Order: sequence, then C-alpha cells, then structure tokens
Amino acid sequence: MNRPIVQAVLIVLIASVIAVVANAVAGRERKLILPGYYPNALRVPERAPEKPVTSPAPPTAQPMTESVAPPVTATVNPAIPAQHPAPSTQNPARSTHAAPSTQHPAPSTQQAVTRQFLPHPDRAYEEIGYADVAHLHAQGALFLDARRTSVFEEGHIAGSRPFSVWESDIDDKVNKLFEERPDPDQQNLPIVIYCSGGACEDSHMLAQKLWGIQFNNVYVYKDGYPDWVKRGGPTRKGATP
Amino acid sequence: MTAREALTHPWLTVRVQIALGAIFVAAALPKIADPPSFAHMVYNYRILPAGLINISALVMPWVELLAGLALILGVWKSAARNVIAAMLLVFIIAISLNLIRDNAIDCGCFDQSAANLTHEERLQDMKMVILRDLGMLLMVAQLWWAGRVEPRAIPPAEE
Repeated sequence: MNRPIVQAVLIVLIASVIAVVANAVAGRERKLILPGYYPNALRVPERAPEKPVTSPAPPTAQPMTESVAPPVTATVNPAIPAQHPAPSTQNPARSTHAAPSTQHPAPSTQQAVTRQFLPHPDRAYEEIGYADVAHLHAQGALFLDARRTSVFEEGHIAGSRPFSVWESDIDDKVNKLFEERPDPDQQNLPIVIYCSGGACEDSHMLAQKLWGIQFNNVYVYKDGYPDWVKRGGPTRKGATP
Repeated sequence: MTAREALTHPWLTVRVQIALGAIFVAAALPKIADPPSFAHMVYNYRILPAGLINISALVMPWVELLAGLALILGVWKSAARNVIAAMLLVFIIAISLNLIRDNAIDCGCFDQSAANLTHEERLQDMKMVILRDLGMLLMVAQLWWAGRVEPRAIPPAEE
C-alpha cells in the first residue's frame, strides 16, 4: 500500500488512542462521554423506579425532538393545579437558592405567582422575559445555569446552580435534583433556566431534559444572562450559588 | 527563475510547511483543552449523527495536532499534508452546507468561546472562514506541487 496512506492512517489511529486516554484521565468538566450517549444534553436520565409518580407517564420514551411539541389534547392534568403549592418553604433545597434581592420589583402575592406560573405538563418549557424572571427570582424559585461551569464561575444570577448540559455529570445533577424534589408537588414548583441568550440553546436542552424526568413547570429565560446583567439583576461570582 | 521554480523552491516550501503546521497546532490546542465546548460546536453543525459527535470532538483536535507537528518537524510530510487537506475539505463542505441552510454557527476553528455575533455577522464570518480554508488548501497544493518537483531537482547519481 502507498506509504503516505499508511502513515496517514497511523496518524489518525495514534490520535484516537491519545484522545481516548486523555479523555479517560480528564477532569469532570473536560470529560466527554463516548459514543452511544450523545447528545448528552438531550438525553433524559433514567429515573429510579421507586420514585413516586402521580402525574401522567413521563415522555421519556419519546425522542426529544418530537416531545418538544407533543400533540396537545388540551388535557392539562387536572390534579396539578390543585396540587401545585405556592412557592413556599416546602422544598428545603429552595431556601438555599433564595436570593436576598432588594433590586427587584416588589414581589406580588403568592397567589399571583401560582396563577401566573402554573405547571404545563404538555410543554417542556415556556419562554419568559426579564420581568417574569425577576419576579420568580424574588420569589425564591430555583434557577439553573445551563452554561459551562467555567463561565458560571465568572458570573451568574445570584442563587443559581451550575447545570451545564455539555458536561459529563449533567445526568447526575438532574437525578440529584429529582431526589431533592421527589414529591410531584415539589416537581411542579417553577424552575428558571438560562444560558447566554440569543442563539444559545443550552437552556432549552436542559429544560427538555428536566421535563423528561417529570419537572413540569420549567421556564427558559429567553434573553439569558447578558440581559440579566444589563438590567442590573443581582449576580454572583465563583463556584457557589 | 521561472514562476514554477519560485513556487516550488525549497525556501518557500519549508516556510509554507512550518506555517501550515503551526496553524493546525494552534487550532488544535484550545479544542484539546476544552472538549465539551468543541463537542458543542460540532453539534451546532447539525451534520454528524448524535453517536459520532463526542468521538469526533475528541479525536479531531489530536489529529490536527499530530498532523501539524509532523509538518513542523518534517516527519511523514506527505501523510500529514494529505490528512490536513482532507480535514480542510471536510471543514469547507461542512461550513458551506450550513451557509446554504442559513444555519449561522461559530466555526469553532480556533476559539471555543461562542462569540456574541448576530445572525448576519456569523454568516459573514462563515464566508471568511471558507476563504481562509481555501487559502490553506492553496498552501497544501504548494506542498504537493513542490513534492512532485523535488525528485526531478535531484541530479542523477554519476557512476
């Protein structure tokens, strides 16, 4: 065989071996999961079978591209509005994410929040703007940052958690969140996800992931972190919320 | 000196070889440093099937690095040149396909951080990337041409 061709094949083979070894020893933020597992960003993690489920069967078996807009039958689970609690202290995890913000508009009543941000099990997410996001932030809703952890550490919405859809531990984080909120009532609490706004799709991907695992009240901050900063929302730096 | 002799002169060939190698090494390093970001870029191209994205994002930068180093060091020059030519063709086709589909993407060629560009700015950027890749293909063509001319430049051994 032609020698340059053999050498070219060898270059690719050596590169493949080095790449796999480098990935094996890479840290959590740099590691990629090998074939059969991608896009990790859209893969819905499997749920533990013993988790309580009172809502309709989750759409985990459907391809996410289809489940984003499933056939709407106008049958929003009637049990959910009744079960849906006002964002209160029911979820112990939430208290750590409540941002002590005084820069936001005065929050309206709890009742107004439950009316405005009801669960929507027929849709993976709803896009909302700054006013709604600021309101939910003031109410102490859980905020998830879908950008890379390194970017999160440079600055994020105060109280938000890093949930990068492109990092190898995203399924662990989603499962952990599910364990934190095992009760369907807790899963129906509003969750706001954001990334960089504009063409960024990471927050939508994370929203689909959460919806697949039964979180039915997810909102995507469509203009993302740049808009939050521009409007003077409270931010934090570093690895902690 | 004719134009042909000038374009295949060893002085030029060595510099083109090192420059092309350096470009590929420089392009590989940020991708190796942050594979998830590069996987994201590959995903944005919407060309590869899902199962191949991560492995491509892992292997491609190392291929770029090894081929670039081979050119710089002058080892396996022909093979490295062919690998680089193949990669450039793939890049040009991939970006062109997305231009045709009006899918504005960051090429992810050197910088893995998504630039804050508008749709139109990204499309313009993609056209410039194609031009840049075509320029690098010309460099590959120079190496290939010089490689073909080189053996003739060596005088036959006298008995």
